[in-house]
Amino acid sequence: MPRYELALILKQMQRPETAAVLRRTVETLMERGALVRDLENLGERQLPYRMTKHNQRHSRGTYFLVDFYAAPSMLAGLLDHLHRDVDVVRPTVLKKDAQVPNSNCCGPQK
Amino acid sequence: MLCLRELQRWKPVLCRYGNTGVRSFAAAAGEAGRTEDGLVNMENPYREPQKGCVLCDVTVDFKNIQLLSQFISPHTGRIYGRHITGLCGRKQKEVSKAIKKAQSMGFMSVTHKNPQFMKDPNVCGIKHLD
Repeated sequence: MPRYELALILKQMQRPETAAVLRRTVETLMERGALVRDLENLGERQLPYRMTKHNQRHSRGTYFLVDFYAAPSMLAGLLDHLHRDVDVVRPTVLKKDAQVPNSNCCGPQK
Repeated sequence: MLCLRELQRWKPVLCRYGNTGVRSFAAAAGEAGRTEDGLVNMENPYREPQKGCVLCDVTVDFKNIQLLSQFISPHTGRIYGRHITGLCGRKQKEVSKAIKKAQSMGFMSVTHKNPQFMKDPNVCGIKHLD
């Protein structure tokens, strides 16, 4: 199965609520047959620009990164679900490509 | 016919550099890679090692906004061109793509540079007036 990365920006909330949102997001992923590999917290920081979502203006948010394996057919449904979630400010799913080796980059050959 | 005779007259002048005849060609090429004129075939000993761009061994990621912010203007947030950053073709494309990705995903600002990164060292060859 191809490997994807979900960059999730959550609304500024208390810790138990953030945990609850993450829990239900991962459960949604698993229900749709995804295999969650890794969940990283990139910290709570000020957003680079103010984002409006669900009739709310957000200026601070928490960034999370979810690595998972999934079938490509379920991505559309997943994104639709995430957009409808009130606590999620911006969900983005990216494909994770295998790293191209830097051996033939310009520069001194080691 | 006449011109042939004249060419033969000029032959010793034109062929100053030793044995230049079809007969001696095979013999000359045989010994230690020397050309007919006596020059040795070798790689340029004064050749400098190929210089790489600044990001030669660095992986470019959309999450690393500090690195990406070094290649945008602090005033307008515009991405610098290749003639300013000095990056090779591949890396310039990677940086450009990563910046656009980060901007659309809500990691990096579009119109300005994050004030936290204003004090970073200047990698690009651009000097601002202020």
